[in-house]
Amino acid sequence: MSDDRAVPLADPATPLLLARGITKRFPGVLALDRVDLEVRAGEVHAILGQNGAGKTTLMNILFGLLRPDEGVLYLRGRRVQFRSPHDAIAAGIGMVHQTRRLVAAHTVLENIILGHPRARGLLRLRRLRPEVEALCARYGVRVDLDARVWQLPEGQRQWVEILKALYGGARILILDEPTSALTPPEVAGLLAGLRTLVQEQGVTVLLVTHKLPIVKASSHRVTILRAGRVVARLVTAEATEDVLVRHMVGRDVAFRPAEDVTAGRPLLQVNGLWAYNDKGLPSVRGITFSLREGEVLGVAGVTGNGQEELAQVLAGLRPPAAGTVVFDGQDITHLPVLQRWQRGIGYVPADRSELASIAAFSLVENTALTYHFDPAFTPRGLLDGAGLEGLTQRIMAAFGVAAPHPYVRARHLSGGNLQRLVLGRVLSRAPRLLIAHLPTQGLDVEATAFVRGKILEARARGAAVVLISEDMDEILSCSDWVAPIYEGRFVAILSRREADPETVGAMMAGLERGVRVP
Amino acid sequence: MVGRYQITLQARQARSASSAALAALLAIVLALALASVLFVSSGSGVLAGYRVVFSYAFFNPHGAVATLHRAVYLLLCTYAFLLPLRAGLWNIGLPGQVYAGALAAFGVPAVLGMSREAAPGWPPGAVIGLMILAAAAAGAAVGSVAGVLRARLQVNEILVTMMLNSILFWLVSFMIKEGGPLMGATAEGESFTLPLLLRAPLAGGIPVTAALAAAGAVLIDPLLARTALGYRIRAFGENPQAARYGGISPLALSLLVFAAGGATAGLAGYHTFAAIPGVYKIPGNYGFYGDLSFYGLITALIARGSALAAVPIAVLLSGLSLGARFAQGMLRLPFGVDYALLGLLMMTFVASHILDRFRVVWRRTPAGVLQPAPGDSRG
Repeated sequence: MSDDRAVPLADPATPLLLARGITKRFPGVLALDRVDLEVRAGEVHAILGQNGAGKTTLMNILFGLLRPDEGVLYLRGRRVQFRSPHDAIAAGIGMVHQTRRLVAAHTVLENIILGHPRARGLLRLRRLRPEVEALCARYGVRVDLDARVWQLPEGQRQWVEILKALYGGARILILDEPTSALTPPEVAGLLAGLRTLVQEQGVTVLLVTHKLPIVKASSHRVTILRAGRVVARLVTAEATEDVLVRHMVGRDVAFRPAEDVTAGRPLLQVNGLWAYNDKGLPSVRGITFSLREGEVLGVAGVTGNGQEELAQVLAGLRPPAAGTVVFDGQDITHLPVLQRWQRGIGYVPADRSELASIAAFSLVENTALTYHFDPAFTPRGLLDGAGLEGLTQRIMAAFGVAAPHPYVRARHLSGGNLQRLVLGRVLSRAPRLLIAHLPTQGLDVEATAFVRGKILEARARGAAVVLISEDMDEILSCSDWVAPIYEGRFVAILSRREADPETVGAMMAGLERGVRVP
Repeated sequence: MVGRYQITLQARQARSASSAALAALLAIVLALALASVLFVSSGSGVLAGYRVVFSYAFFNPHGAVATLHRAVYLLLCTYAFLLPLRAGLWNIGLPGQVYAGALAAFGVPAVLGMSREAAPGWPPGAVIGLMILAAAAAGAAVGSVAGVLRARLQVNEILVTMMLNSILFWLVSFMIKEGGPLMGATAEGESFTLPLLLRAPLAGGIPVTAALAAAGAVLIDPLLARTALGYRIRAFGENPQAARYGGISPLALSLLVFAAGGATAGLAGYHTFAAIPGVYKIPGNYGFYGDLSFYGLITALIARGSALAAVPIAVLLSGLSLGARFAQGMLRLPFGVDYALLGLLMMTFVASHILDRFRVVWRRTPAGVLQPAPGDSRG
C-alpha cells in the first residue's frame, strides 16, 4: 500500500475502516460477538466500554495481533486480512498500546526509527534525523530527540510512540487507553495534539477508553461495547454523559463518598523514612506520618514521586535506607513480608498482573498466594484444595469476578477482573492495615465505584488504609487525611476539610503552600 | 490462504497426559527409525541390530541389571535438576554434586580408618548409613553455594554451578591420585576399593539406592502438587516477584531447592561409585559419569518436570545407551553409535513437544464473507 496518503474519499459516508461480524472466542469466554464497526476517514472514533467489554481484543484484531474466529475487515472498501502487525502497519494502521513498548535506555530518535524498514542494517541516524524533525514539526509535537526515553515523563513517552507510528506511515491511529497513566495537563496536551492530527493532517484516530470525559472532549462518534457486543453507535455531540453511562454499564451507577467514622487507636507510625529506587536514587526522602484505625490516608501524587517505593517499604518488599515503621506498637521496619501478612498488613500493588498474581496459575492457586502460610488452609503442610476453592468462589461472588469457574488461569482474566480478584483476596484476610496503590487504575466506572466502596468498608470495619492514587476524585472522596507527595516528600498532610482540589493539585506539582487565593 | 482454505498453527489449550504419552511414544519410534541408518551402514540388518540392542538392555540378565543401575543413577540426577527447575532455577551442577557425594561417601571410611577393612567397634550398617548421609549432605552443600549466591547477590546459578563442576572435578583428582587421602593401594589414579562389609546391601543384585530413586518417583510429584511447600516452589518458579509479594523468601527457597537437588545428586554419586556391584571405588574415568549426569537434565526436561514420568524415560535412555554400546562391540558398528542414538532421541522428543503443543488447523473460509463490501462498486 504505497498510495495510502491519498486518503480523502469521494463520499464521506464511505467508511475508511469497516469490520463486519467480528467474533472472537477465548477458552470459556466469548470475547467478541458479531461486532460491527464503522470508522470514517478523518474522525476521532471512540470505543467505549467497561473492563472486559472486548475493546482491546477488537483493537488487537484491527492491528493484526489476533485473528478473528469469524468476520471480515474492509479497508477503504477492500477486504483485508492481517496475519501480523506488519500487515496492518503496511496498510497504514498504527497502534499505541496501553503499556509503553519503547527501549528505555535508547534515545527518542532511536526509538522512533527502530523497526522501520529504512533503519535496517547500518543505522544512519544523522541522515534520518531531518525526516523525524520534519515529522515533529508537521504534527506540532515538541520532544527532545536526544533524550533517553527513561528520562521522559509518561506523557512524552506516549508521544514518542505516536510519532513512531506516524513515522511508520500510519494514517489510522489506534490508541488503547491513552490517558490511563497521564496527569491532567498531559491529558489536555494529548487531546489538543490529536485534534491537530485529525483536523490538519487528516489522520483518523480510534480511541479506546472507559473514561467518559475523554470521549466527550475528543470524539466525533462513539461505538459502545458491552460484554463483547456493540450496544450503541452514537454521534458524540448528541449523547449526554448519562446516556453513555447507561449504555456502557446497562444501568445507573452511584458512588457514595466516605462518611465520618470515629478513628480508633493509633496503628501505624512512620518516622523519617528514606528509601532508594531501583536506579539507586533516593526516592522516598524523609516521610513521617501516623495513622489510626479507621482512617484513610490519601497519598496524592503524579506517578514517579516515590509512591511505588513507599508502598513497597510498608509492604516489606523494599528495605528502607533510614527511618522506622511501627505497627501496632512494634517496630516492623525490617520485618519479612510473610510476617507482615500474618500480622494483618495487606498490600494491593499497582501492578496486579506481574506482582500480585501468577498468570499461569488458576484462580484457586492465586488465592493460595496469600494463604499458603495460613494454618487454616494448610493442615499438616498440605494445601486444602477444597477450602481454597470455597474461599475463591466466595471472593469471586463477593467481588464480582467474572470467570466461568475458579480453575480458569489468571491470564485469561481481564485487567478489571484481576483487580477484583486481587483486592478480594487481600480483603478476605481482613487486614488491619491496607496499602492500596492505584486500586482503580484502568477500571471502568462501575468497578471503580465498587472498589472504592470496598476500601471504605474496610475502613468502617476499623482498618487503617494508605490509599495511593493519582485520581483527585478518589483521594478526596475516600480520605480522612490527604498527603500530596512530591519528589519523595509529603508536601503537607491536610485534613479532609483543608483539602480542596486546587490546593492538593498545586501541592502535587511541588508548590509548598498550595495555591494562594488572590 | 490456499484457495478457500486457511491453514494455521494453533496453540493447544489443554494437553492430556495420554496425548503427551502418545507423542513420546511416536518420538521413540521415529528416533529408532532414523537411527537405523547407523545399522544399515555397518552391513548388519536393522532389525538384527535393534534385537541386539534391546535384548541386551532389557532381557539379558547382566544387561538388564546394568540398565537398572544406570536408570537409578539417571533418576537421582533427574531429581537433582527437576527440583530447582520447578522453582525456575537451572542446576547445571549435577557433575560437581555427584563428585561431592562420592568424595563424602568415601571420606567416611577413610576418616574412620576403614579404607582397608571394616574396623571393629563400628557396626557396618551404621557406617553405610553415615556414608549415604554424608553423600547427600555434601551434594546439598555444593548445591547450596549456588542457591545462596543466586538469592543474595543475584549471581547466575548456571555460571556458579558450572564453575563448581570444574572445582569438584579437580578436587576428586587431587583426592584419588598420587598421595591423595582417598588414593587406592596400587596408585592407578583410582580411589581405594570399599571393604566388603561397607558395600551397600543388595536385594537380588539391586542396591538400596534403587529404593531411594523409587521413593523420589512416587513422592516428588505429589509433594509439588499438594503441599504448601510444593506450592511455594511452583509459585516461585512461575513468578518470583509475585512469590515474594506472597511472603515467600527468595533466599530460603533458592537454598532449599538447591540443597534438595544437590542432595539427590550426591546420592547419585554414592550410588554409582559405592553401591553398584563390581565398582565400589571412584575409577580413573570418573569424568564419564559426570558427563552422564547431564542425561538427568535431559530426562527432566523431556518428562516436563514430572518425577514419575521421568522413570520410563530414564530406563529407556539407560537401556539404549548400554544396549547400543554392547551392539557396537558385537556388530562392529562405528564408534559412538550409543551417543548418536541418544542424540536422535532427544531431538525427536523436542520435536514431539512442539507438535504436541500446537496443532495444524485447516479451516474452510465461509462463503458468505467473501462477498464484496458495500462501497466496492464505487471503486
